[in-house]
Amino acid sequence: MDFQVVLGSILSAGFIASVLRISTALILPALGGLISDLAGSINIALEGTMLVAAFTGVVVSAYTHSWVMGVLAGLLAGTLFSLLLAFANIYLGTNIILAGIALNIMAIGGTIFLLYTLTGDKGNSSTLASLKVPDIIIPLVKDIPFIGEVLSGYPVFVYLAFLLTWLVAVFLYRTRLGTHLRAVGENPEAAASVGINVNRIRIIAIGLSGFLAAMGGLYLSMAYLSLFQNAMTAGRGFIALAAVYLGGRKPWGTLLAAIIFGFAQALAINLGSLKIPSQLVQMIPYAATIIALVVYNLRQVAQARERARRFQEQHMAEMAASQAGSE
Amino acid sequence: MNKLLSSTFFRELLRVVVAVLIALGIGFIITLLVSDQPIEAYKAFLFGPLTKINRFGDWIEESITLTFLGLSVAIVFKANQFSLGQEGQMVLGALVSGSIALFVPLPAYLRIPLAIMAAMVVGFLWGWLPGYLKAHLNANEIVSTLMLNAIALLFYEWLLTYYIKPPTAGYTSSATFPAEGTLPTFFPALPFLADLRTLFMNQTNISIALYLVVIAVMVVYFLMFRTPFGYELRMVGANSKFARYGGIDVKKTIVLAFAVSGIFAGLAGSHLAMGIHHKLILNITYALGFEGIVVSLLASNNPLAVPFAALAYGYLRAGANIMERSSDMSREMVLVIQGIIILLVTAEKLMPMVQKRISSRKPGVRTGGDKTDDESVSGTTLAEGGD
Repeated sequence: MDFQVVLGSILSAGFIASVLRISTALILPALGGLISDLAGSINIALEGTMLVAAFTGVVVSAYTHSWVMGVLAGLLAGTLFSLLLAFANIYLGTNIILAGIALNIMAIGGTIFLLYTLTGDKGNSSTLASLKVPDIIIPLVKDIPFIGEVLSGYPVFVYLAFLLTWLVAVFLYRTRLGTHLRAVGENPEAAASVGINVNRIRIIAIGLSGFLAAMGGLYLSMAYLSLFQNAMTAGRGFIALAAVYLGGRKPWGTLLAAIIFGFAQALAINLGSLKIPSQLVQMIPYAATIIALVVYNLRQVAQARERARRFQEQHMAEMAASQAGSE
Repeated sequence: MNKLLSSTFFRELLRVVVAVLIALGIGFIITLLVSDQPIEAYKAFLFGPLTKINRFGDWIEESITLTFLGLSVAIVFKANQFSLGQEGQMVLGALVSGSIALFVPLPAYLRIPLAIMAAMVVGFLWGWLPGYLKAHLNANEIVSTLMLNAIALLFYEWLLTYYIKPPTAGYTSSATFPAEGTLPTFFPALPFLADLRTLFMNQTNISIALYLVVIAVMVVYFLMFRTPFGYELRMVGANSKFARYGGIDVKKTIVLAFAVSGIFAGLAGSHLAMGIHHKLILNITYALGFEGIVVSLLASNNPLAVPFAALAYGYLRAGANIMERSSDMSREMVLVIQGIIILLVTAEKLMPMVQKRISSRKPGVRTGGDKTDDESVSGTTLAEGGD
C-alpha cells in the first residue's frame, strides 16, 4: 500500500517539479565545476563558494530590504571568494586541492562564526528578515493541466540553470575564449607556446566557476529555502563535481547527470513517507554519486581499451597491406 | 652536511611558525572587530588551556585524537593522494569499538584490545574502498571519500538511534560503557603518587591511549622510512610515473596507502569512544573532519613531527572552546584560522618571496644572491636572524 502511494507520487507533476527544484542547486555549481575543470583547475571550493554566497545573500537582503541587492552581493562575494582560490594557486603556489580544502573550511567556519555574531544563533538565520527571490509565473501556460505545473511557477534560478547550460556550451565551443580555455586545460605548455596567457585564462575560469556556484548557493538560501542554515549546502558542491565527471565533461551531459542526482535526492525525500529510517533514505544520493563515479570510470576504461584494440587492428592491417604490396 | 640539515629544518620550522603567527594575528584582528571585550576573549583563547587541570586534560586528550588523525593523513598525503575519508573511518571506528565495549561480555584485558583491533580493521576496510576506486577505476578520491563519509555518518546515526540507544534514554546516545570497556587512566598505580593519580583520574580522561599514540607515531615512522612499503609510498608520492618505470606496483601502493591510513583514523575513533566520551553520542566526530589535514601539513607529513603539530594545534582548539564559554566569541573562529594556516603553510612561493624581500633589504649580509642559490642563501640568513 505504502509503496503504491510512493509510486503514485513519483509519477505526478509535483514530483517532476521537485526534481527540477532540487536539481537546480546541483546544475549551477556543476556548470561552474565544468568550466574550471576544462581549464585544468579543479575547483574543490565550489561547496564553500555556495555557502559564502548563500550567507551573503541572506544577510544583505535582510539589511537592505532588497532581494536584488542580496543576489548581487551574493554573486560578488562568491566570485571574489573563488578568486582567492586562483590567487592562492597561481600567485602563492598553493596546491589547488589543498587551497580548495582550506577555503571550504574557512567558508563553513566563517559563515557559522558570522551567523552567531549577527544573530546569536549557530543553527540558522530565522531571526533575520531575509527576502526570497520571487517565482516566475508564466501566463497562459500555468493554466494548462500537468504541463502548467511542470513548466511554470519556479524561481528564476531554475530557468536560468537550463539557459546557462546552453550559454556555457556556446561559450566553451563557439567562442575564442572558450577554445583557449579548453586548450589551456588540455595542455598548458602548448597553449602558452602559441601565445595564450595561461594564468589569465585560469583566473577567468575559476572566477566564472565561482560565479555559477554562487548562483547555486543563492538559490538554496533565497529561493529553495528562505533562510541560511549552517552548512546548508550539505555536500552539493562535491556532488556537483561528480556530476561533471558523470556527464563526460560536457555541458549537456553535466546537466543530465545533475538531474539524475536531483532525482535521487527527490526520491529520498519521497521515500520518507515509508517506514524506512530516514538515515538510510538519506544515503541514496551519496551512494548514487559513488556508483555513478564507478560507472563513468568503468566506461572510460572500456573506451580506452576499445581505442587501443582498434588502433592495433588498424596497425596490423596496414602492416599486412604493406607486406603484400612489397611482395 | 650537518649545517645544511639544520638549515632546511629551520626553514621548515620557520615557515610553519610564520604561518601560524600570521593566522593568529588575523584571528586577533577578527576578535577586535567582533568582540565587546576582545582582550579578555583572546586571552582565554591563548592561555585558557593552562589555567585548570581539567582544561589541560582536554588539551592532551584532543591532541591524542589529532595525532592519530594527523598520522592517517600523513600516510596518504605522502603518496600524493588527497583522501578526505578520515571522518568516515573515524566514526565507524568509534561505532565498532563502542559496540564491543558495550555488548561483548569479555574481561577488560580482552575486551579493550578486541575493540581497538576492530576499529583498526574497520578503518582499514573503509579506507581500502576509495583506494581501490582510485587506483583501479581512477575515481576522484576527494569526491568518493566525502560521499563515503556522509554514508558512514548516516550509518552510525541509524544504528545508534534504532539499535544502540537504550529505549528509555531521553536523547540519542548509548549507555555509558562499563569499566571493562573504557580505557584506563594513563597514570601508573604507584603508591607514592596516589594523590596525583586520583587528581588526574577525577579531573581528566587522559588514558593509556597516550602510550598507544607514541607507539603509533613510531610505527608510522618505521613504516614510512624503514620498510619497502614506505619506500614505494614515498616514490609514488614523489613521482608516480617514475615509480612505475622503476618497477613499483603503483596501484597496489595507492590502495594500501588509503587502507593503512584508515587504520589510524579508526584508532582515533576508538579513542573518542572509549577514551574520551565513554559512550556513543550523536555527532561524535563533530568538527574533527579535516583537522588531520592541518596537523599533517603543519608537520610537513613527517610522522615524528605530527605529535608536536597536534599538541600545538590541539592547544588552539582547546583555547577556542574556552574562549567560546567565557566570552561572546564563537569557537568557529578557529576554523577560519585553520583555513589560513593551510593556505600559508602550503604556499610554496610565499617563503621565497618573503626571503627575497628580506635579503634585498639587507644587502650588507649577502649580496648578489641572484637566481640559482638565492633561496638557500637567504634561508640561512633568515634562520640565523630569527635566533
